[in-house]
Amino acid sequence: MKLFEYQAKDIFKEAGIPIPNSVLIQEETMLEKALDTVKTPCVVKSQVLSGGRGKAGLVVFTKTKEDAQKETKRLFAKDLNIKHLLIEEAIDIKQEIYVSVTIDPNQASALLIVSKEGGVDIETLATERPEKIIKEPIDMRYGLMPYQASRVAYDLGFSKDITKALKNTFLKLYHIFVQYDAELVEINPLFITQDNIVVAGDGKLMIDDNSMFRQQRYEKGQTDYKSDAEYEAAQEGIPFIEFDGDIGLMCAGAGLTTTVYDLIHYEGGTIANYLEFGGPNYKKAVKSMEICLKVPSKVILVVTFGTIARADVMASGIVEAIKQLKPDRPIVTCIRGTNEKEAVNILKEAGLEPVFDTEEAVRKAVDIAKGGSK
Amino acid sequence: MSIFIDQTTTVCVQGITGKEGSFWTKHMIELGTQVVCGVTPGKEGQTVENKPVYNSVKKAAQQHNIDASMLFVPPRFTKDAVFEALDAGIKKIVTIGDGIPLHDMVAIRQAAKVHNAMVVGGNTSGVISPKLAMMGSFPHWIERVYKKGNIGIMTRSGSLTNEVTAMVVAAGYGVSTLIGVGGDPVPGTRFAEFLELYENDPETEAVVIIGELGGTMEEEVAEAINDKRFTKPLVAFLGGRTAPKGQKMGHAGAIISGGKGSVEDKIEALTKAGALVAERPRLVGELLEELGVSKA
Repeated sequence: MKLFEYQAKDIFKEAGIPIPNSVLIQEETMLEKALDTVKTPCVVKSQVLSGGRGKAGLVVFTKTKEDAQKETKRLFAKDLNIKHLLIEEAIDIKQEIYVSVTIDPNQASALLIVSKEGGVDIETLATERPEKIIKEPIDMRYGLMPYQASRVAYDLGFSKDITKALKNTFLKLYHIFVQYDAELVEINPLFITQDNIVVAGDGKLMIDDNSMFRQQRYEKGQTDYKSDAEYEAAQEGIPFIEFDGDIGLMCAGAGLTTTVYDLIHYEGGTIANYLEFGGPNYKKAVKSMEICLKVPSKVILVVTFGTIARADVMASGIVEAIKQLKPDRPIVTCIRGTNEKEAVNILKEAGLEPVFDTEEAVRKAVDIAKGGSK
Repeated sequence: MSIFIDQTTTVCVQGITGKEGSFWTKHMIELGTQVVCGVTPGKEGQTVENKPVYNSVKKAAQQHNIDASMLFVPPRFTKDAVFEALDAGIKKIVTIGDGIPLHDMVAIRQAAKVHNAMVVGGNTSGVISPKLAMMGSFPHWIERVYKKGNIGIMTRSGSLTNEVTAMVVAAGYGVSTLIGVGGDPVPGTRFAEFLELYENDPETEAVVIIGELGGTMEEEVAEAINDKRFTKPLVAFLGGRTAPKGQKMGHAGAIISGGKGSVEDKIEALTKAGALVAERPRLVGELLEELGVSKA
């Protein structure tokens, strides 16, 4: 689960990492009061989870109260669907640093990643000037040792005061990483102010989804999902992603669904949604189709090759779903695996024309989506 | 021959009295696996499939010679169960749970290294040497997939394994040992670490890897080929070539992040190393033929 900037900064603050003075607002009328605390010039920051907020015009520097009002109004416009703005004091910056803690899967360690060239896209920096990035492996049995944090801080070449503040920031950040079962915790940029103070300019914290049972502080609410369909799928534990193409996928197994996704693109088709009802969800055909039908699409494509997720059970589920939901669009099925012969019979008896080969099923769905034969 | 497990490997099942544990223990034995005992705390004295159950792995290990432990344990208790098996001196561990916390997997992988052990999984079906033995949840009776032969298969995905392996079998081949390394970002053991075992297995003539977007495991396979640590023919199929950046595709580990993990990069690395990459599952069998792999 990815936290919003303001949530990550709450955590930073609690851990003792300085953050800029700020107020979170939920509507335009709250700005006036926020500006009593924050003062202009200030930065108006949309609390959305997508990257590149600056380039998209979702984070704006405003000099005056009038500017701030104008931007707040613009960003709270309905079509942008932004629920929170963070009104933050503008910082007088001397230097921007990059710092993050993440996992190194191969070494089975954590990694402290630091660069003196903060504020930029770290991926671009990693490709273009990898020598500008310091990577410090952390043995998670013992945690980030003070000498390691100190060594990395000294390597950046700042004055003594700043070095000490950086070292403390690294140690605190690692502590957050552990405490929150993070996939990634990142401050980019970490400001060094004209007064030589270290302040977190941004905050990213991704909590491992598999650890949510022991990270109860942040529960995902309905508003954290992009659509009702995504929320409903999540409630059912059904992996689901919404796109804006023509073909709704209702497949089983992550790898197979991803492959069908590729094959559709190879055939020139587009995807309306990714839905996977394999594994523990193989008896949830009705619910799965109900979710698929909430997304506009021209055809629903069912591809499975289940073993424990029996083919006959899945086929019966599809037949039942069609009976109950009376879908307004064609369904193409390619259901194989344990008891596949029975599955074919079940589908045929229900008047469907089951396909037995994945690529053939994909072509059939793409044809239908393009307005060809059914 | 085969790798990791065969009919002589003695297996302990942790979580043997549970629904999954007892169900798959039955099928593991039916295939020929030497399950010698099980462990469920509090259930000592019971039997499952005529195998004695113990309260701890240590106690089980005092009574039996155990080569490997199979875990049917919920994800949140997996770390504890793996550590218990390692503590009892077991060097081969398979854990299938989907949803093991990331930091727990880091600890598991590290502990395995320290103990010089191999942990396979989580988020996998396990390991199977068709017609010989298995640790995990494979419907070994489906001949369209689990046919014995000379191809080693390693995979990050269960569903895709059926799709691809069925194509390999349809082309006239069979499987020596199939290892599901799992779909998590930190698997206990990585593709490249199994290659040495396949290299030394006279029965494995070629290896097929079923990979996908995310991580760098496929690139490490390319490195192993480059360094001549693996010299047999290798064919790969990779899912997620057209997946959008930053989007998790089903598996927790299937995501392009930090500028790493795109299928393009993986194809480039593997192709440069001399491996063949199949664009579609159907083509995997054809590429094995192209490499001159014999049909036993």
